[in-house]
Amino acid sequence: MNLQERAPLWPIAVSRILIGVLWLFSLRWKLPPDFAPAAGRGLMDWLQLEVQHAAFAFYGDFVAAVIIPNFTLFAWIIFLSELLVGLSLLTGTLTRLGGAVGALMAVNLGIGLLEVPGEWPWSYVMLALWQGTFAITGAGRMAGMDGWLREKVTAVPWLQWLT
Amino acid sequence: MNQKKETEQLRIAAALLRITVGVIILVTWYENVTKGLYSADGLTGFFNWLFDAQNGNASSLGWYKAFLDTAVAPIAGPFAIFQMTAELIMGLALLLGGFTRFFGLAAMFFFANLFLSYFGGHEWIWVYVLLFMSALTIFLSKAGRHWGIDRRLAQTRGEPPYPVLW
Repeated sequence: MNLQERAPLWPIAVSRILIGVLWLFSLRWKLPPDFAPAAGRGLMDWLQLEVQHAAFAFYGDFVAAVIIPNFTLFAWIIFLSELLVGLSLLTGTLTRLGGAVGALMAVNLGIGLLEVPGEWPWSYVMLALWQGTFAITGAGRMAGMDGWLREKVTAVPWLQWLT
Repeated sequence: MNQKKETEQLRIAAALLRITVGVIILVTWYENVTKGLYSADGLTGFFNWLFDAQNGNASSLGWYKAFLDTAVAPIAGPFAIFQMTAELIMGLALLLGGFTRFFGLAAMFFFANLFLSYFGGHEWIWVYVLLFMSALTIFLSKAGRHWGIDRRLAQTRGEPPYPVLW
């Protein structure tokens, strides 16, 4: 008996949608143009925490020497990446790509925030693991756009890889 | 991609979720043991910290605080021993894939309670959503039948008498 016969796959689809909402929800404190909320910590504050509490010296040095001096550029990259990953997972569009990028982003967050007080590294392990699961299983094919894309757009080979 | 390969990937994903949740529970259990959480004072102090708006987490669900204060705090000593034992067994069961459906269900209940405990405070609440969904997936997918003891149980004993066992 295979997994699909013995268990509904909707929890994976629901988790995909929830993590999509999570990424979009997390944008509220890094909105352009200043990438900071009206009150509380913004993106620059978190980057500075990564430098102050770097678990790996090379990572802290990289953030201090490359990211922070070019803050606006990297803030836009971070904002747009999280927006696209969030939309990808929420709608189930190009989910393998969205899941893979999201997993890398979660690993990056986990490395950067590992020693920051109050942070729980397992959060990022779970986030990376789930998004890896979406990438491996093609989770957008259930309750997502990928199912429709795979059916309707058969002439584009790379689309089959990313959905 | 063929159906067999997809099914294999889903089985592996469910098993990885199970093992990861098991490791998380066991590591947290060990940290809690070393911090002295599993005692009457430890547990009561933790409840106070949860709802302390000044120096604690500032959790916001008043009705849940009332539940903890009236139902759990008066029996904090025995409950702490139960909690310590239950978390250890749950972590081991999920790590090893034994009686996974039962302990997946128990983990759902556990994470739902943690979600309610931390809700509205400084703690990043999404992690409990992720953990709850992981436990739900483990329960529904019978995740112990891949890389787990439940596989052996299913082979030797067949389907369980109660479907929440393995």
